Amino acid sequence: MAAKRKVTFKIFVFLISTDLLETFAQFCFKKSTTCQSFSGIVTIAQAYLFIKTVIFSPFLWLALFSVLLIFTIWSTILSKIDLSVAVPVASFSYILVPLTSSIFLHEKISSIRWFGIIFILIGVILVSMSTDHKKEIA
Amino acid sequence: MKEHIFIIIGLIALTDVCDTVGQLILKSSINKINWHINTLKKAIFLIIELLKMPRIWFGFILSGVSLIFWLIALTKADLNLAFSLDSMRYIMIAIASMLFLKEKISNERWFGIIFVVFGIVLAALG
Repeated sequence: MAAKRKVTFKIFVFLISTDLLETFAQFCFKKSTTCQSFSGIVTIAQAYLFIKTVIFSPFLWLALFSVLLIFTIWSTILSKIDLSVAVPVASFSYILVPLTSSIFLHEKISSIRWFGIIFILIGVILVSMSTDHKKEIA
Repeated sequence: MKEHIFIIIGLIALTDVCDTVGQLILKSSINKINWHINTLKKAIFLIIELLKMPRIWFGFILSGVSLIFWLIALTKADLNLAFSLDSMRYIMIAIASMLFLKEKISNERWFGIIFVVFGIVLAALG
């Protein structure tokens, strides 16, 4: 397989939009579950009621639509650049999602958790950067 | 919140197990077809070949189940916590690829996995 081209401005915009869409999707997933308070889902009947309520939430469908859009954009990105280059930029959502949660959902995030998030981010970047290039070329 | 943390971790683990099995099914099915895709026509053929496999449909069902677990987890957890814990999928996928697809994991990648584990523990404690 030929070496993949470098990150152009268009690809960069695509990568940023997957970050933003991922954040938007997660925000909508959360919103879809908070339309009604679910004290506990233990029985099948409660699970059924939960699914029924969530399915009728427009937020769920907005989220699913975003996920579909992310999948399409992501496929385009990966046909142009290597996964090891794409993932570190796309992992920006690990910061964006907690930021959105704290601003729009008024969630409290302790400094220990922020440390944890930074470790996860570094870990995800390390996992993706160690792609075996020799295997890819072969 | 503290007493809920294990339920939350369990629910997100279930989500990620479903996703991991789904990814394994997809990858092993694509490996089986083993085509080099360079045209749109070949890509469409690949998708049609994949859709003919029953296990692909099992993978779709798993995606739905995974979504249900994720939504239940979100009723119990703050989004920032749930999203951080969700990164345990990277660990599961790496180990599952090693066990079932016989993929090799480099030292660098193990190092990354250790970072993710440590980050998850911190996020859960915080």
